[in-house]
Amino acid sequence: MDKIVLSTRGLTKTFGGFTAVDHISFSLKEGEVLGILGPNGAGKTTTLFMLLDLITPTSGDLTMFGMRYAQDREKILQRVNFASAYMDMVPRMTIMENLLIMAMLYQVKNPRQVIIVWAQSMGIESILGQEYQKLSAGQKTRAQMCKAFLSSPEILLLDEPTASLDPDISVTVRKHILDAKNRGVSVIITSHNMAEVEEICDRVLFINHGKIVAEDTPEGLAQKVRKARVQLMMTDGQKRTIAYAKRAGFPVTANGRFVTIDVDEDDIAYLLAGLADKGVQYGQITIDKPTLEDYFIAESRRNI
Amino acid sequence: MRVWAIIVKFWFDTKRDMFRLFDVFWWPAFNLFVWGLLSTYLTQLSKGSVNFVLLFLAGTIFWSFFDRASRDISRSMVEELWSRNLPNLFSTPLTLTEYLAGVLTVAFVKLVIGSIFLLVLSKIFYGFEISLLGWPVIGIMAGLMIFGWSVSFFIQSFVLRYGHTVEVFIWAVTVLLQPFSCVFYPLSALPVWAQWVARAFPSMYLFEQMRAIISGTPVRSGDIMISMALNAVYLILSVIFFYRTFRYAKSNGLLTKPY
Repeated sequence: MDKIVLSTRGLTKTFGGFTAVDHISFSLKEGEVLGILGPNGAGKTTTLFMLLDLITPTSGDLTMFGMRYAQDREKILQRVNFASAYMDMVPRMTIMENLLIMAMLYQVKNPRQVIIVWAQSMGIESILGQEYQKLSAGQKTRAQMCKAFLSSPEILLLDEPTASLDPDISVTVRKHILDAKNRGVSVIITSHNMAEVEEICDRVLFINHGKIVAEDTPEGLAQKVRKARVQLMMTDGQKRTIAYAKRAGFPVTANGRFVTIDVDEDDIAYLLAGLADKGVQYGQITIDKPTLEDYFIAESRRNI
Repeated sequence: MRVWAIIVKFWFDTKRDMFRLFDVFWWPAFNLFVWGLLSTYLTQLSKGSVNFVLLFLAGTIFWSFFDRASRDISRSMVEELWSRNLPNLFSTPLTLTEYLAGVLTVAFVKLVIGSIFLLVLSKIFYGFEISLLGWPVIGIMAGLMIFGWSVSFFIQSFVLRYGHTVEVFIWAVTVLLQPFSCVFYPLSALPVWAQWVARAFPSMYLFEQMRAIISGTPVRSGDIMISMALNAVYLILSVIFFYRTFRYAKSNGLLTKPY
């Protein structure tokens, strides 16, 4: 049986009359990567901060490793770490100094060596002596990632860890997250990069207005979007194609010789049969299946 | 280990900021020279009948105990807020008590270093020897330091609760409390209403004792007891208030919001 390392039941946070997180319940298994998706202001970061005991929940239950913050805060946080693209370190201190302090707070053995190893893997070894305030946004994010890994956490909480990173460094960060997962580390990650979520997450929670509106694998969520996109490179009958699609109620756009039609997956065969009846001819056809991004957009718009 | 981490953090941060050295050395020395020159002039005017140097320099040095104790601790919290470092610190196993222990240790060391510097300066330039005042000065210094800590806990609480709009109190509180603390004049010099206000502050009793020691009159043990009792009450209340405010800040997301 998969070991549950984190569990929430009815976790709620209200600020005055505003409910930021509304009775969310989920669990995290050992070695699982859980993505939390949702539009801005959905409650993702507030949820992460509650998991870190930086914000006290208004109600609900939260256990980590079977313990609760009220009794075992230090024991829990010794086994958890986090990184956020939106958090800072002490600006006048160097990266090495900032990381040394963090290593001391987590009581890491041989902190300098550990820091150097992680700095090498994140490509910031050469700038360890630079003041944090002089770093670029990408370098700061990598410093934060070093901070997150240096205590060898069992649960890693990552708030948009690859925001403002170059694509090649993003690949490195994702590799480290997957390596951590393979070592049995459980990860919760928020991201607006849907391709990233599809690549590394085992399971995804979609949050909107503080509520979990869907929970599935990335593929499972994408399949909830029934729309597919059919693109035809017309050789004959472009006007007839557009007229037919409009009559059938399918959104259609044209760009040069290309006609793009949005249809439900179930209607693709009906569309193509109809076009064949009209005698139109096309030299190329592309059918794009829905992605997690399509789900994200559809779900976000539905709940505006 | 975690308390040590906070101490090391302040060392790393301080060594890169020359303005902090100004705080420890320049401003107290500047203050000492201004009061030293004034008191020398006044002593000359009075043809030596009153030793203004002793009164004013002792007042300046003792007041710096309260001033530094209060400001250093309050500033530490504000700087964590400025650099948005609180989420980093308090998402680790670090407890609030450990954080405060680290901050207080650093503040105490800075206070000792700054005071030794002032005492050496006042000896060199004005021939002022604090040791002539005897052992009771240690009690006065400790009392002023503890009162400074209490005030700083209240200020930190307000900064945590209301943000940068109340930051000005970190610097203003010493100016506001100084007239009622009777640093350079006796309680009787204050208007009657102000005397009642002054009686609420342990600093007033401590400076009265300082003057008693300087003038060779007997120290009033009742005043010392009152100052100790007031200090104990303020310290306990301020610590409780600070812990409650920290809980409030966690409950209202104030630790994580941009400052």
